[in-house]
Amino acid sequence: MNYTFDFNAVSISPLLQGLWVSLELTAAANVIGVVLGFVLALLIMSNYRMIRLPFMLFVELFRCTPAIVQIVWIFYCVPMIFDVFLDPITMGVLALGLNLMAFNAEAYRAAIQAVPREQLDAGIALGLSPLQRILYIVFPTAFRASIPVLLTNGIVIFQQSALVAIVAIQDLMYQGKTLATETYRPIETFTVVALIYFAVSFPITQIVGLLERRRQLLSS
Amino acid sequence: MTLDFAILLRFEHALLLGLWTTIKLTVICIALGCSLGFLVGLARTSRNLALRTISGIYVEFFRGTPVLIQLFWIFFCLPLILGVELSNLASGVIALTLYMGAITSETFRASLKSIGHEQMDACVALGLSRNVRIVNVVLPQAVLRAIPTLLSNCVSLFKESALVSAVGMADLMFVGQNISNNTARPVEVLTVVALIYFAIAFPLTRAVSLIEGRILKKLAI
Repeated sequence: MNYTFDFNAVSISPLLQGLWVSLELTAAANVIGVVLGFVLALLIMSNYRMIRLPFMLFVELFRCTPAIVQIVWIFYCVPMIFDVFLDPITMGVLALGLNLMAFNAEAYRAAIQAVPREQLDAGIALGLSPLQRILYIVFPTAFRASIPVLLTNGIVIFQQSALVAIVAIQDLMYQGKTLATETYRPIETFTVVALIYFAVSFPITQIVGLLERRRQLLSS
Repeated sequence: MTLDFAILLRFEHALLLGLWTTIKLTVICIALGCSLGFLVGLARTSRNLALRTISGIYVEFFRGTPVLIQLFWIFFCLPLILGVELSNLASGVIALTLYMGAITSETFRASLKSIGHEQMDACVALGLSRNVRIVNVVLPQAVLRAIPTLLSNCVSLFKESALVSAVGMADLMFVGQNISNNTARPVEVLTVVALIYFAIAFPLTRAVSLIEGRILKKLAI
C-alpha cells in the first residue's frame, strides 16, 4: 500500500457541529423514550384487549422493521398523510423517539412484571389511588431495575442517529460524508468520524457493564 | 390523498429481486458471522493476553460505532488500503460479517461463561485434548444455550442489512426507495417495504420467545 495519510485534511469544527446535532437528537429521543416508553409499557400490559392490541402492534412494528425504513417512512409519508410540515430536526427526533419508545417499553415491561405483588397490595392497603401506586411504587422500582437496559438502548439510539444523515439532517455522519467528498480523504475522515462515535459510546457501555456487575454481586 | 396500492403490482418483480438480495446477504453473513463470533468468543475467554486484547478491541469497536459508518468505511476505504477493487456484494458481506461477528461473540461469551467449571475439570480428568474439549463438550452446549440470543442477533442483522441501500446495493430498501422516487408514491411503496421486512422479522422474534419458553426448558439446560 502506498497511500500517504494526511489527517490535517480533516477539519474538526464541522464534525463537532455535527456531533452536537447528533447529541441533541439522542438526548431528545431519550427523553421521549424514557418517559413515554413507560406509559407505553403500561398500555401494552393493560387488562383490556382493545387497549393492549393496538399498542402491541405499534411496538412490534417498530421492533421488527429496520430503523432506516422507519426514518425514511416518517420523512416521506408523515407530511403526506397528515398534511403537516415539520422541520427536519423535529422529524428526526420523532423517528428516533418512537423507535426508542418501542424498545424501552419492552425493557420496562419486564421490570414492571418483576415488581413484587406484595408492594402493590401494600399500596392498596394504604389507600393509594391507582395513579399514586403507579407513580410512587411501580415507576421508581421499575425504572431502577431497567436502568442498564435503558442506557444500552439510549446508546443504540445514538448510533442509529447516524441514519438521519440519509435524509440530509446535518449530523456527524452527514458532515463526515460531506467532508470526505470535499477533501477526497475518505479514509482519514471516516476513521475520525468512527472514533468520535466510539469515544461517546464506549464510556457509557463501560458504565452499563459496571452497573450490571455490581448488581450481580449484590444479588449473589 | 388517495392511496393506490395496485401500483405496486407493476414492480412485484423488482421488489422480489431486492428481497432476494437482502435475504442472500443476510444468510451469508449469518453463517460467516456466527462462525467468526464463536472463534472471537473463545479468544475473549482465552488465557493469552494478546489474543484477549485484540479480540476485545475488535468487539468494542464494532459495537461502539454505527453500522452505517462501518459500511462506509469498508466500501470507500478498504479498497484504497488494499489496492483492490471490491464488488458491492463483497464489501457488504465483509461489513455485515464483521458486525455480526462482534455481536454474536458477546452472545457466545455469555453462554461459554455459563458452562460450569466442573465440566472443564471433568474433561481434564478424562484426559481429553483441547480440541476434543472444544468441539465435543463446549461447542454443543454453548450453541444450544446461545440459540435464543443468536436468533435475536440474526433478526438485528436482517434489519441492519437495509443499510447497504445507502451505499448503493440493490437490496429491498434500495429498490423500494427507487420505486417510490420514480412513481412519486412514497406512502404506498415504503409502507409495503416496511411490511415485507415486518413479515419476515416478526415470526422470527416470536420463534425466539417460543424457543426460550419450551425447547430450552425441555432440554433442561
